Amino acid sequence: MVDTLLSPELLRRLEQLELLARRRAKSSVKGERSSRARGHSVEFADYRSYVAGDDLRYLDWNLYGRLERLFLKLYEEERELPVRIFLDASESMTFGEPVKFDFARQVAAAIGYIALCGFDCVSTVVFPEHESDATLRAALRMVRGRKSALAFLRNLAALTAGGPANLNEALRRGAVEARHAGLAVVISDFLDPAGYEQGLGALIGRGFQVDVIQVLAPEELEPTTFGDLRLVDSETGAQQEVTFGRHRLTAYRQTVEAYVRKLRDFCRARGVSFFLASSATPLDELVLKRLRQAEVVG
Amino acid sequence: MSFLAPTAFAFAAAIPIVILFYLLKRRRVVKLVPSTLLWQRFLAETQASAPFQKLRKNWLLVLQLLLLALVILALARPFFAGKTAAGRLIVVILDASASMQSTDESPSRFERARREALDLVNSLHETDQMVVLLAAAHTEVRQSPTSNKTALRRALQSCQPSDTPTRLAEALKIAHPLVKDRRDAEIHLYSDGAAPDLTEFEFEGLNVAYHQVGRRALNVGIISAEARAHPEDARRRAVFASVFNASSNNVSGELELHFDGTFVETRHIELGPRETSPQVFTVSQEKDGVFTLRLDVPDELAADNEVHVASLMPKPVNVLLVTRSGGYLERALRVVPNLNLAVAEDIVDEGATYDIVVIDDVLPSSWPTVNTLTIRSAPTNWVQVTGRVEAPLIVDWKNTHPLLRFVNFDEVQIAEALRVRTPTWAVPLVEASDTPLVLAGEIGRQRVVWIGFDTMQSTWPLRISFPIFVANAVEWLNPASTRSSQAMVRAGDPIRMPLSGSATNAVVQLPDGTKRTVPIDPGVREFAFADTARNGVYKVDTGEGQSWFCVNLLDPAETDTTPKSELRFGRYARALATTLKPANLELWRRLAAAALAVMMFEWWFYHRRTA
Repeated sequence: MVDTLLSPELLRRLEQLELLARRRAKSSVKGERSSRARGHSVEFADYRSYVAGDDLRYLDWNLYGRLERLFLKLYEEERELPVRIFLDASESMTFGEPVKFDFARQVAAAIGYIALCGFDCVSTVVFPEHESDATLRAALRMVRGRKSALAFLRNLAALTAGGPANLNEALRRGAVEARHAGLAVVISDFLDPAGYEQGLGALIGRGFQVDVIQVLAPEELEPTTFGDLRLVDSETGAQQEVTFGRHRLTAYRQTVEAYVRKLRDFCRARGVSFFLASSATPLDELVLKRLRQAEVVG
Repeated sequence: MSFLAPTAFAFAAAIPIVILFYLLKRRRVVKLVPSTLLWQRFLAETQASAPFQKLRKNWLLVLQLLLLALVILALARPFFAGKTAAGRLIVVILDASASMQSTDESPSRFERARREALDLVNSLHETDQMVVLLAAAHTEVRQSPTSNKTALRRALQSCQPSDTPTRLAEALKIAHPLVKDRRDAEIHLYSDGAAPDLTEFEFEGLNVAYHQVGRRALNVGIISAEARAHPEDARRRAVFASVFNASSNNVSGELELHFDGTFVETRHIELGPRETSPQVFTVSQEKDGVFTLRLDVPDELAADNEVHVASLMPKPVNVLLVTRSGGYLERALRVVPNLNLAVAEDIVDEGATYDIVVIDDVLPSSWPTVNTLTIRSAPTNWVQVTGRVEAPLIVDWKNTHPLLRFVNFDEVQIAEALRVRTPTWAVPLVEASDTPLVLAGEIGRQRVVWIGFDTMQSTWPLRISFPIFVANAVEWLNPASTRSSQAMVRAGDPIRMPLSGSATNAVVQLPDGTKRTVPIDPGVREFAFADTARNGVYKVDTGEGQSWFCVNLLDPAETDTTPKSELRFGRYARALATTLKPANLELWRRLAAAALAVMMFEWWFYHRRTA
């Protein structure tokens, strides 16, 4: 199962990467990330004047010898980076060839694996809620350490998708629930009639560094069914009649481009990294190439 | 633009139905998709979704509505009026002669003419009146003046072409009084122009529109035929025929001779452009019968390719010569083959036992009732003698008459002749400057040749032409040859045949097998029949015996099917073939064609849209 999600070759290459956080870690748990917190580590940060009660072990005696004033040496405390992965497991993700959800959880697995290898805390939020694999989802809520990586991958592979999703609600809730802001990776098709702006806005407002990966199926980018059609929405059951011919392909492509552009512009305006991926995109191209180029991983 | 059938606009009620069909749900393929979000946006960008706005920019619907509009317009039959003067009188003369059966037009000239005439009927206004005349050998009024288009169409549809020559002058004479005093009257003549008799007709400013039908002349036909006794062997017959090539190409073919349906001989003929070829067949004949000449040449007119010639067996002709002297006349008669000659000085029994009586300068005690050749018989009631002419000078003779065939009056001097006026029954064959010298004609059923001078008091008996004339006279007066010629008529001419029995009815079987019963007037021992529009052999059964007669076209003017682009009326006037039809130009065909094109485009567009 693990092998089907990520190949050993890819796992080995992912181990060499780490998530590049533009912000300092805010977690209270010690880790490998530099944080604003001053503490005990080998990384010197600053000096400050001694006040009564300070630990005398951190006094800089050399400086006292020169200036005859007491200064305290401050060190950066290295803490972990909370990585929150929002994985869309709605009904609409079960479509496509290859299936969008399969691709999405591969991406989630790759990012999660990178984070775990970097001693970061990975919290995967799979929405919508699903009774049948509630245990799996609960297990994915908080994963730490490299030793948990195998379980993390196994749990991801065992997930099932279905039901209607509310992207805004899921993101907003994820933003509120998080004790510490960190890195948020949202993997979805973003085809929610209610939109995505509020949810993403909530994450940004909470202080998350957000990366957006939009996954669309090849058929959504380039339809192959023509004629007089009655289209049924897999999530809402809404019906839409359309007469579609090859000569309207260009118009359709323009519609898709406009939709994607709108999301990209939204992200760009808020300093959010945006990636559009067809579910047929090779995983290593997305992770090892495009995410690296965008300095999401490095 | 007007409409002939404005009621067709009721079909416009179909337009909302077409729109309704568009508003109705179409049967669609149901497909489950991840999300309709993109599709909704796509549709929102390409078309509106409100019910009637859905129709906006729907080119398929626009095309179908256009198609429907064109069809409705076509059904309403719009036209551009050519002439709009109300209350016109239009006389349609439809040429139904043999040449109109030519197939150079599809399917024939006559059908083409009929189609054009029907178009003219369609273009009539309600106040217009039309007369339909069918002109063949005789002109029939097929429809008296009426505005009823149904009656006019029925009259035109009932017209049929015949095998007869054209006599357009008769048709124009009938049309003339109808249109004479009307300024808004028009004569529409549908013909190929093969009408030689029009030169006799004075035009008198008639408003004639000549609609010429026919495109070319590709025809070979038999224009004359005759069966005569062989000059050297009375048992053999010489069948003469003239074949005329009316086309501008060389043609070749076969001319077949049949006798009573039995094949006799065939002959290969080759004719240059507009060439006439005389053909003579010499055959032996054992019984009375019909020679059929059949021309096997690919051409476009069949009516002149077959000719039937009645031929009766020659019988020894009994001639009574009433003379005082005999001489040259008797000698001339004796050399005529197959002739039994009796010579007497008077007639005792009106010559009833003889076929021919020759009266040579004798006043018989009783006048013969059989065919007679009379020479200088003055006090008769056949001619009115007004005096005498000394040494009359011969100025003219009709060498086209059968009596004067090969007869020449050069160097014939006459001492004295009777001065007579030409009686109504006779035609003058030889004329002096102030009196006819030889007359020939029929009085009742009796043929008479009258010579107004004493042949012995002339140089004629010394000329070679004299015995030839005597032989011709015997041939012409011979009742057997009379019967033969009586048994042949031109198509359209009436036939009259003497009857011997007491039958009151005769059944005539036409060439196509139909039978007609003809009553016979008991007072007149004669059978008369006028329905001879078809070529062929007609059989007559009186219950007491069977006989037959032949009907043939034999008309060079009909065989020459070259379409004439102008008709000459009288000496000066002429009518050019009209190219601009005065008929209203209907548009429905163009509209229907446009509708078809729109339909094909729509089909293509529909497939392009859903493919």
